[in-house]
Amino acid sequence: MSNASILTVNLTRTFKRGKKIINALKDVNLGVNRGEIFGLLGPNGAGKTTLIRILATLLLPTSGEAYVEGYDVTKEPGKVRELINVVSGGERAGYGILTLKENLWYFSQLYGFSRKDGWKRVEKLISLLGIEEYADVKLNRLSTGIIQKYNLARGLINDPRVLFLDEPTLGLDVEAARSIRKLIKEWIKSDRKRTILLTTHYMAEAEELCDRIAIIHRGEIVALGSSEELKQKVSRYVIYKIGIRGHARIDFVKEVDGVEAVSYKEDIARGVTVARIVLTEGDYISSVIEKIESSELQIIELSKVEPTLEDVFLKIVGASLEK
Amino acid sequence: MLALRSRKSTLLRTAIARAYVRIKGGNREPSWILWEVILPLLMISSVVYAYHSLGAPPKYIGFVILGGAMMSFWFNVLWGMGTTLYWEKETGNLEAFMVSPAPIEGLLLGMALGGALNTLTRALSMIVMGILFFDAKFDVNAIPSALVIFLLTLSVLYTLGMGLASLYLMYSRSGWRASELLQEPIMFLSGLYYPLNVLPMMLQVIASLLPLAIGLDGIRKTLIIGKKIWDLGPHVLSLITMTVIFTLIAKRLLKYMEHKAKKEGRLILRWM
Repeated sequence: MSNASILTVNLTRTFKRGKKIINALKDVNLGVNRGEIFGLLGPNGAGKTTLIRILATLLLPTSGEAYVEGYDVTKEPGKVRELINVVSGGERAGYGILTLKENLWYFSQLYGFSRKDGWKRVEKLISLLGIEEYADVKLNRLSTGIIQKYNLARGLINDPRVLFLDEPTLGLDVEAARSIRKLIKEWIKSDRKRTILLTTHYMAEAEELCDRIAIIHRGEIVALGSSEELKQKVSRYVIYKIGIRGHARIDFVKEVDGVEAVSYKEDIARGVTVARIVLTEGDYISSVIEKIESSELQIIELSKVEPTLEDVFLKIVGASLEK
Repeated sequence: MLALRSRKSTLLRTAIARAYVRIKGGNREPSWILWEVILPLLMISSVVYAYHSLGAPPKYIGFVILGGAMMSFWFNVLWGMGTTLYWEKETGNLEAFMVSPAPIEGLLLGMALGGALNTLTRALSMIVMGILFFDAKFDVNAIPSALVIFLLTLSVLYTLGMGLASLYLMYSRSGWRASELLQEPIMFLSGLYYPLNVLPMMLQVIASLLPLAIGLDGIRKTLIIGKKIWDLGPHVLSLITMTVIFTLIAKRLLKYMEHKAKKEGRLILRWM
């Protein structure tokens, strides 16, 4: 048996918006191994959710093929649905008027559990996720963090072989996001036949959770490898982090010789614009400083930093992901 | 991975679970009793008083009461079952449902069962109040025959509802137009408030093809005129034939609309 849990071959999906054709996915070739957490990293509109929807049998590809656990998602959706589940961040699937545990029981029935087995499964998951005290609370009364744990419990209700996690920590506070990540890691570790395909636009999350990462941009896979392998792609570059007082737009720095890529975002709390600049050689930093200062901007921090996935993304795509 | 049960068993469990949501959810908002019982009764009352003022024969009161009761089921088909998939889509539940192996017919069946229980309360209270307040008279001996016709009529109506629901998979809220389109003309042609023989012949012919008209006519013939089930062979045969035909059409429509919606990316596309 092949070790590929998910396989796509020249997968393409276009959408028609009036007279305009939008290429959401362009010839995507991807193989996700059984037992791994595979990350899809990309900005909004990159094609991450479209890919998940095709794999989860919710959307048909325009051309190409996609397989989950060896089953063709187009021709054998029923087989695929028995093996998968999907959890989307920020979603609230369920009925607000029912309690958390009643909702989970409802979803257990969609997978054919007997009434009794369904309740057993619900109790087990509630305990696993540590949400016992909310079990009898109506869904419409729960906080975002607990809802996301409930969502995860719903996604695990059928103990899927393949779990699709679409931005699972979207909108969560640091503690709730950490707790979700911990649960994800524990779940995959407890059975190596399981596979997770995770989409995120949080670099740190991808780095912490994923065995391999694919960077997707405008519907195309533009880089693929482990976090370390991806960072190797920028290892020959020199990266500087620069802090500039106030609100600054420094796209003009791209014109400086030796500058490969620039990203910046404003840290409103500190009143600083923080930029990352990828240079072909370290010597070019003096020209960068000169250019910034000639624009009457004040540099208040300057440090050479180790490459991160953000820099990989910046170098390959030419724009920042975490805006 | 946990062992999964057969498709039929999953369909049944899905239906029961969805009915549970409908009934449990409904009972947590007891105000539904007010909407389901008192308001429709007011509507029926106005027609009853219109007949009274015109000096219509007493059997017309029974006609109206039964018409109102059956209208409740027709509304449940149009707006309860028919629009189910629209609401499931808007709340994000359809996505979670569609990635599961549960057949969509199970979801609709559950909605029909759950909705029918509430509607039954509405219909029965209309009949009871019709007897108490308006002195409507029904043949008690004909109840078993009426029940057969009633159940057969429900079967056809709910298969129709299943077909209607399929439109919402693809067209989302635009499907409301179809429900609206089916509401008034069918109420008019089914003779909910009057016997069909008052209509022109051409309209009577069209009405004879409508399951609600056939069912209502059958129920009235049993409960008001006192006919037995064996006197209503054509009614029974038409209703059974329609159930079979509409079931096949609804299943094909559901499959087709799901495919089309997946192709055009509208399966879980929300209106709001």
